[in-house]
Amino acid sequence: MSATDPVSHISDAELLSMTRDLDALHHDLTLPALKDSLSEWTEEIRERTAAGEPEETEQRMFFDRRKFLIGTGGLAGGALLAACSSSGKPASSPSSSPSAMAGGEGQKLSGDLQVVAMAASLENSGIATYMAGIKAATAGKLGTVPGAVVTFAETAMSQHQDHVQAWNSVLTSSGKQAVTAVDSVIQPTINTAFGKVKTVAELAALALMVENIAGETYQNGLSVIKSAAGIKTAASIQPVEFQHAAILSFVLGQYPVPNSFTGVSSARPPSDYHT
Amino acid sequence: MELDETALSGLIEESQDTHADAIRAVKEPLDGMVDLGQQARSRNGLDPDENRSFAGENRRRLSATAKRAGGLLAATGIVAAIAEFIGSPAFASSGTDVQVLQTASSIEVLAVATYKTALTLPYIGGSAANGVIKAFATTTMKQHADHLAAFQAATTALGGTKQTKPDPAFVPVVDKAVTSITKASASAGALLVVGLALELENIAAETYVNNMSLLTDANAKKVTASIMGVEAQHVAILYAVQALLKGGAGADITLPPPAAKLPAAAGKVGFPNSFYPTSSAAPATQGALS
Repeated sequence: MSATDPVSHISDAELLSMTRDLDALHHDLTLPALKDSLSEWTEEIRERTAAGEPEETEQRMFFDRRKFLIGTGGLAGGALLAACSSSGKPASSPSSSPSAMAGGEGQKLSGDLQVVAMAASLENSGIATYMAGIKAATAGKLGTVPGAVVTFAETAMSQHQDHVQAWNSVLTSSGKQAVTAVDSVIQPTINTAFGKVKTVAELAALALMVENIAGETYQNGLSVIKSAAGIKTAASIQPVEFQHAAILSFVLGQYPVPNSFTGVSSARPPSDYHT
Repeated sequence: MELDETALSGLIEESQDTHADAIRAVKEPLDGMVDLGQQARSRNGLDPDENRSFAGENRRRLSATAKRAGGLLAATGIVAAIAEFIGSPAFASSGTDVQVLQTASSIEVLAVATYKTALTLPYIGGSAANGVIKAFATTTMKQHADHLAAFQAATTALGGTKQTKPDPAFVPVVDKAVTSITKASASAGALLVVGLALELENIAAETYVNNMSLLTDANAKKVTASIMGVEAQHVAILYAVQALLKGGAGADITLPPPAAKLPAAAGKVGFPNSFYPTSSAAPATQGALS
């Protein structure tokens, strides 16, 4: 087949049949296992709370704001760094703005629950980014958008929705409010960058930044979460965020698995969550 | 679309230039483990009771895994023998974290060897190869060698002996697959190679995801966490490549791919799960030294 042929030989039906077995495995094995982990984690949190066990929040502040901003700047460029440093109102915002998704802050969370809330807010930012991107594409603001790119955005967004539901189930089962707010520190950076997006490639680059931050945040979370069940949950999500990143890099023409090891320099610190 | 191999090499080098942060993520925990290893050696080893308990738990888990797994592990037919081996007194003689790290090393040894063998095939590593596949196989083999070095360093830092042999449960299956590959045509062989690599990468990723809740040493966890996402990325790319090969669209394996030419469903083929599974994870002590 010539690379210049207009349509690939492979069809949607063939591709969907390839993923059918994996979907079945996911629903039969992975999701029940996740549900068990979430229940176990919630029970552990309840027991620790009932026992009056202190949470070591201070020890969990591994990454200060400045270090995070430097890491983000490395991923997204100096303009984004400057926008985030101003740390105020977003210059422009994706369709799901912070105010529209506000909720769950001010609950005085600590320990594992603070990590959970940080994760949930970061997932909300990811969802808002994809939602805004899909809306812009649908409105024709990004030029011609390939169907495969739309499917990628819809699937990744759906998976982030699954993740935030998992995190929020831990919060609500522990008697706390679900977090529906976006990450208040990273969101201004996303909003500023999104305001400059004119093409599919620029949108993909923004999504790549968000996915790498998410993956690194979970990787850092694995070092600070106390509960074994909580570690299982974060460990099951971290690789998925990095898979999103790999496909985005591939689409952008960048080498898709750039490093032998993933880092944590752009991880979002749990201490940044507005407790 | 013509593939510019020089440009591809440039991209790989460029990505490696940004590797410093990631290297730090694994170097710092490894440095932190050295003291622990010295303490373990000064005590003449690790707690044998703890090790026996861990091996027993893994025997139970192995049995459950064998029932579920549909891939290499189930195909070995030697699960029962391994379960027996794990339960033997000779096995339960090293620290639990060390056992987990040795098993991880054994998977990496096998991965490096498999990619090395694949690269000897003309349609994977030779002049007839797709440039992206060749670059991916070459770079991925190097990344697994880095992972092996990290797991081995962590093992010795904790006072254990580094594992240099491949995982014994998977070797016969890989050998059998390689025999089939060498007899296959180029197009069939390429699909078999990708299928084998995909299965090994998934086993690695799932094993490390599973190990996160088994490891007790904080730095061993950090090392493992910095590797499991990379294996998952290999899986994502291999899924995409496999789909294109199966669909007879091998010419579309380019960097970047011709997104406009691909059917919509191609956008989700690389990451089928919202949560990474562990049903194909190797038992944590399967590749441990006695």
